[in-house]
Amino acid sequence: MTATTGTLADEVWRLMTAQGILFAIDAPIRQTLSNLVEFFAARLQRDPASVQAELEAALAADERFTREEVNGQVIYVTSRQGRYIPRDTTDPHTFKQRLYEPENPLPIDDLSVVVSTSRPAITTVEPVYISDYWIEQARLVAATQMDEQPVVQPESQEAGATTPVVVEQPVAEGAGPAPVGEEPGVAVVPPTDVEEPVATLGVSEEPSAAPIAEPTSSEHSTVLTVDGLTIDLSRSPAEIVAEYGPALERILAERLARDPLQRIVSFGRLHYPEASLVGFGKNDLRKIRDYILERNEPLLDTEIIADLYYHNPRQPDYEGFRFSLNYRLSREKDFEFVGVEGANIWSTKGLPAIGSKRVKASEMGQLTSYLIEGFDDSLADQSAEAIQASGSVTRLLTFFEWEYGVLPLDAALATLLPKPVFPDQRSAVLRFESSQHFGTYLVEVRYPSGNRGGWLQGLEDFFREYLVPGALITISRTDAVNVFTISYEEGGETTDRLLTFDEKKNRFAFANLTFYCAVDEDVLPTQNRYGKLRNLKAFPMSERRKAEMVLEHVCEVMGERGGSREQPVYRVTFNDLYVAYNVLRPASRSFLQALLDSHPAITADPAASGTYFFTLPQMERTDTEEEDVEEEDQPIQPTLRRRGGRYIDEDE
Amino acid sequence: MMDAKTIVFGDTAIDRLLQWLRASGEPKDVRDLLLQYLEILCKLVTEEGE
Repeated sequence: MTATTGTLADEVWRLMTAQGILFAIDAPIRQTLSNLVEFFAARLQRDPASVQAELEAALAADERFTREEVNGQVIYVTSRQGRYIPRDTTDPHTFKQRLYEPENPLPIDDLSVVVSTSRPAITTVEPVYISDYWIEQARLVAATQMDEQPVVQPESQEAGATTPVVVEQPVAEGAGPAPVGEEPGVAVVPPTDVEEPVATLGVSEEPSAAPIAEPTSSEHSTVLTVDGLTIDLSRSPAEIVAEYGPALERILAERLARDPLQRIVSFGRLHYPEASLVGFGKNDLRKIRDYILERNEPLLDTEIIADLYYHNPRQPDYEGFRFSLNYRLSREKDFEFVGVEGANIWSTKGLPAIGSKRVKASEMGQLTSYLIEGFDDSLADQSAEAIQASGSVTRLLTFFEWEYGVLPLDAALATLLPKPVFPDQRSAVLRFESSQHFGTYLVEVRYPSGNRGGWLQGLEDFFREYLVPGALITISRTDAVNVFTISYEEGGETTDRLLTFDEKKNRFAFANLTFYCAVDEDVLPTQNRYGKLRNLKAFPMSERRKAEMVLEHVCEVMGERGGSREQPVYRVTFNDLYVAYNVLRPASRSFLQALLDSHPAITADPAASGTYFFTLPQMERTDTEEEDVEEEDQPIQPTLRRRGGRYIDEDE
Repeated sequence: MMDAKTIVFGDTAIDRLLQWLRASGEPKDVRDLLLQYLEILCKLVTEEGE
């Protein structure tokens, strides 16, 4: 390269980089030869042909320029960094490929392994997309599981048959429709072909199974197997539902819930497309919560819709709107479903508790656990069919129930009251109306869970105001699924000294009470008949779950003392025990009977039916205790604890 | 006609069920849903050209 050409090439390069001053450092800067010739010819006042020749020579010799020809036009390319080098666009990152197409993918038993089914922290419902790869993998797994079943059947059927006979069967079937008249001789050839590998392989069964299974799989089948259920799809859907309805409903609901795209969502038994849901934002939820708090009680979904959204049931989108609301609230942790089938009732944080706070839910669950353990005799007087037919349950009120306004959720009440809508539903709120006093009470039904029993709470005011222990109450259903009536048999004005619990002194006492209801005299805790009840120790609720300890104490309090001073024996009747036991905690007669039968220190009196002897375990007593025994007028001390001292006031 | 062995209950033809549900415009009980789904599956295995 001469000095002139070098200078010319430099000048061209400066010119082109000036044009592309704002280009990226490695971006191509292009200029046509004709433009360059025109520019330099005018500038140097020379012949364009000679300038062109000089330019071509200069640029060809300079490595910063690349010559291109496009449609017969010569173009020179350079870049701000010198020679233009095309950018390498290959991506060295392989994570994406390794993620979606792994060399050795793990087996997928369940899509939930890949996509979390846990509720997202963010309340907005967003579909979870997964790659086609995983969906395909899941299908393959399902298909292989399906394939395994039909393969087994032919094997078992044909196991006893000889190989040639088995081979003939598919040949006859396969040759049936299409190639039947083609070549009859062909039908003879395949058996010999198949026989050979069978003979040579000997032990191996798989090669022989494959050709056998193939013809049968080509056979069109209408039998579908779902979780062990064999369904013939050639039957009408109504027939199939009549036979397998509940099981298939459960399976379908489970499968839809497992759909990673959540295309169909559910609330209770209802299902709706996710895409059709009406959106409820944070403001909506706050508004609903405020409204429930303002009304100060759990509300029906229809009330919320009518009062806050002015939606009319006659509007065509009403049911969809209602479903959307319920579905959304069910996914919010600030709201709790306390409804029943047919009445979607919603509670929220901050509402006052229904019922007495004197008994904790955990304690009550333990006190009613005898119902779960099989000591529920509530259906002895009224059968479940009778309750269903009449729609009402009648029962006697015990002292414990009257005092705390609770009713154990025994089989009789469970038959009458609605079942929980969701498996994990904790409670339901019902409305109990008293037509005798035109009052309405909110009652919370706490459903049994695990080994804890269920109960109803919230009737404290009604019981204490109008009833006494021993009253006969009737609970009946109404046309509304969440509304029940509670009534009692009215009686003349009666005043008697009845057992009460003095909370301040934490002890039982008798007080004059006037009542206007019919009572069962056998269980009415009057001072005349059950004067000893005042000696019962008001154990803390957590202690009352110890059924045997309470029984021993009740025997000691209610029994007629006999035996020796060192080893007293108490004679007590079953009825007294039942009344006294139900002062301290709820219990059925069968539960009490089981306790009496199993207690080592209690024996039945052979002379009198329904009478028992309780022999107090012989223990070392202090002098002061002996003095206490002599003072019969003093309240009887609680039973000695098996592994410790007496229960005393300090225990509480 | 589709072979019933290739059907995955709760997965196959769910898009058709979804279509039906969307067209109905209101939530459906799981019993109605099941009936409709079985009808779709029955058609799949019995009708030609499915």
